[in-house]
Amino acid sequence: MKKLLSVLIASVVMCAAVLTGCGTATSESGSQAGGSADSDFIVGAIYINSQNDTAGYTYAHHHGIVTAMENIGLSTDTNLKIIDNVPEDDEQVRTAIEQLAGQGCDIIFGISFGYINAFAEAAEEYPDIVFCHATGYLSNDTNFNNYFGRIYQARYLAGIAAGYKSLEIGNNDIGYVSAWGTEYAETCSGINAFAMGARAVNPDAVIHVDEISTWGDQELERQAAEVLITTYGCGVIAQHCDSAQPQVVAEEQGVYGCGYNSDMSVEAPNAHLTAPVWNWDVFYQLAIETAMNESSASEFFTNIGGNYYGGLTEGMVDIAPLTDNNAPEAAEAIALARDLMVSGEWDVFSGTALSFSGEAGSVTCDLVPQALVDNEGNEIVAAGGASVDDGVIQGSMNYYVEGVVAES
Amino acid sequence: MRLKIIRRKETKLVNKILLYVIGIAISFVVGGIFLTSLDINPFAYYRDMLTIGLIGNYYPGKSVEGLLKLFVPLLITSLALSLAFKMRFWNIGGEGEFITGALFAAIVAFKLGDTLPGFVVIVLMCLAAFVSAGMIGLVTAHLKVKFNTNETLVTLMINYIMLYVIKYFGETKADWNFFLRTDSERPVFAKFPENAIMDGIKFGNFKLLYTVPAAIVIAVIVYFYLKRTKQGYEISVVGDSVNTAKYAGMNVYRITLRTIFLSAAFIGLAGAFTAAASGTISTDITNNVGWTGVIVAWLSRLSVPVIGVVSLLISVLQYGCQAASASYSQIDHNFADLMQGLFMFSILAAGFFSNFKIVRTGDKKDA
Repeated sequence: MKKLLSVLIASVVMCAAVLTGCGTATSESGSQAGGSADSDFIVGAIYINSQNDTAGYTYAHHHGIVTAMENIGLSTDTNLKIIDNVPEDDEQVRTAIEQLAGQGCDIIFGISFGYINAFAEAAEEYPDIVFCHATGYLSNDTNFNNYFGRIYQARYLAGIAAGYKSLEIGNNDIGYVSAWGTEYAETCSGINAFAMGARAVNPDAVIHVDEISTWGDQELERQAAEVLITTYGCGVIAQHCDSAQPQVVAEEQGVYGCGYNSDMSVEAPNAHLTAPVWNWDVFYQLAIETAMNESSASEFFTNIGGNYYGGLTEGMVDIAPLTDNNAPEAAEAIALARDLMVSGEWDVFSGTALSFSGEAGSVTCDLVPQALVDNEGNEIVAAGGASVDDGVIQGSMNYYVEGVVAES
Repeated sequence: MRLKIIRRKETKLVNKILLYVIGIAISFVVGGIFLTSLDINPFAYYRDMLTIGLIGNYYPGKSVEGLLKLFVPLLITSLALSLAFKMRFWNIGGEGEFITGALFAAIVAFKLGDTLPGFVVIVLMCLAAFVSAGMIGLVTAHLKVKFNTNETLVTLMINYIMLYVIKYFGETKADWNFFLRTDSERPVFAKFPENAIMDGIKFGNFKLLYTVPAAIVIAVIVYFYLKRTKQGYEISVVGDSVNTAKYAGMNVYRITLRTIFLSAAFIGLAGAFTAAASGTISTDITNNVGWTGVIVAWLSRLSVPVIGVVSLLISVLQYGCQAASASYSQIDHNFADLMQGLFMFSILAAGFFSNFKIVRTGDKKDA
C-alpha cells in the first residue's frame, strides 16, 4: 500500500510540475494572439448545440460570430464567451444569460427560438446589456431586438435552378424534404418560394413535400428522399433540414438536388445544383459594431433600425455557386431574378410573377401581373398587388401556393 | 501470480479520506492533461470552476442563486430516491415523476393562478404535484408486489411516457392547449400567471428562493423519518429481507406502497418547485436530476447528511464547469460533462478501494 501511495503521489507532483510549465507558456501565447480594436467589448452567445460542431445550425451561427469578430478586430479568445448545449428551458437559458452577464458581456446573442421568454425577461432585468434573439418575434424599443433573414429569396433562386433542370430531364416532379410543413411559416414560406421559382421556369412543375416533423434526423431525411424518388418519381430533391442526407440519396439514385445551409456539392458532387445559404456574419457584424459605437445599450434598437430581416440586398442570404450540373439557362435566369430582388424592384410573394424565356445566352425575364393563389384556389394577393407583409412571411403564412402537394 | 479482490475488515478514517483525496487528485490531473492539450491553463480553469466563476463576476449574487437552483431539485430528488433504494426498490423513474409533478403544478398554475392569492396557488401546485407523482409510485409499487413486475423496467418506461406527454403539450398548437403562449405562431410554453411564480427574499441582486429552506426542511424530515420512526425502520427491514419482514408481522404490501408513494411524491414536489421558481415548464425541465439523483444517492450510500454534501458538490461541479467553459472557446458543454464523469468515476473508485483491497495470491500451478 505504501509503495502504491508513494508512486501515486510522485506522479501527481510530476504532472502538476509539467502542467505549471505548460500553463504559463500557453497563457503567454494566448495574450499575444489577442488583437483588438476595443478590447473591452465582450460578446456573449448561447447555442442550442455544440460550438465545436462542424456543420448545421449552431455551426452556421458560430462561424458567423467568429467571422464578424475577426472582421471587426475583436479577439475570439478573450472577447467571446459562449455557453453551448443550452436546451430550450427558461431556467437554464436564464442561468446561461446570468453567467454571461456576470462575465461582463456587452451584447448577448441567443440563436434558438425557445430562448424567447428568457431573453425578453433578461432584457428588462439587464438594461445595460444588448440582447439579440434569432428567429423570434419579441423585442423592446431599447436593448432587445430579434433577427432573421429573407431565406425565401435564396430559395426562389434555387427553385429556378431546379425548374430548368426539370425541363432539361423532362420530369416535372420535384421533391422537397422538409422539417415541417405549414405549421411553421419558416418552412412554409421556403417551400412556397422554391415552388414559385421552379414554376416561373417550368409552369408544369409539381413540388412534392415530404414532411419529417423534426428539425434534424438524418435517418428520416434519408428515408424521405428515397420515398420522393422511388414513389413519386422526383428528378430533383430540395430540402429544408439539417443534414446533407437528401443530397447524398439524390447522388446515389442518379437524380439532382438543391441542398441547404452550406454548399453540399462536397457531399453530392454529381447531383448538387445549388443551395440557399445563410451569411449570419452580416448581421453579427452590424449588431456588434452598432453596440460598440453607441454610448448606451438603450439606443441599440433605434441605431440598428429595429428588428433585423436582411435578405439578398444586405448579403444576409445567398445561394452557393452554381455547379456544372445545372441546365445551361439557369445561371442567366438566376442573375436576372437576383438583380430584381437586390435592387428591391420585385419580391417573391407579390401580385407580380417573373416569367423566363429564351435559350442560354439570351434568357429574358418579364414581370407579369399574376395573382398569388394558394393550392386550394384562394387568392392571397390580387394580380399586380404589393408583396405580403414581412409578418406574414415570418409568422402567419400557413398555406401552400399552387403547384405544391403535401405527401405526408 | 493471481490477483484477488477481498473485502477489508475495517478501514481507518484517515485512510478513507486519503483514498478520496487521491481519487480526486487523479481526476484533476487527468482533466489537467486534457486542458493542457487544448492550450488552456488548467489552474485558471479549475479556479473558475471551483469558485463557480465568482472571481471578477459582475453579478455574484446571481451565480449563487443559479447554483441553488441546481442544488434544490437535485437534493430533493436524491433524498426521495434513497427512500426507495433503502427498500431495494429500484425507482429509476425520477425523470418521469419529476415531469408529472411539474405538469400538474402547471395545470394548477394556469387554471387557478389568476383567481387565487399567491400563497394558496403555490401550495395547491405543490399538493397537485405531490399527489399526481405519488400516484405513479403507487401504481409501480402495486405492480411490483402483486404481479412481481420488474420495477426498473416499469419506472424506466414511465420516464419515456411522461417525456412524450410533455412534448405533446409543448408542440401541439390548438385552442384547448392552455400550456402555450397565445401570441406565438410557433408553439412555446407560456409563463405562469404572476401569482403562481415562486418568489424569494431579496438581498441586493441575490434572491433566496423559498424552495431552498423548504428543501432543507425536507432533508431534515427524511432524516428523522428514516432514523427515528417505526416506518423508517420498516423500510430497512423490508430492504434487508422481505421474509424477515413478513415473519415479524409487517404488511409488506402496505409498506412498499407507502414508501414508493412518498419517494415518487417528493420527486414530483421537486418538479413543482422547479416549475414554480422558473415560472414555466419545458421538455428539459428535469435537467436530468432523475438520473443524477441515482448517482448522488449511491455515492452517498443512502445517508441523508452525505446526500446533502454530495448534491451540493455535484451542483458546484455542474455550475462551475459551465461558468468556466464560457471563457474558453475550445471548451464546450461536452467537456464539462467529461469532467463530471471523471470526478464521479474517481469517487466511486475511491469508495471501492476503501471497502476492498486487491491482493496477490501465489498460485504455484499457474506460475
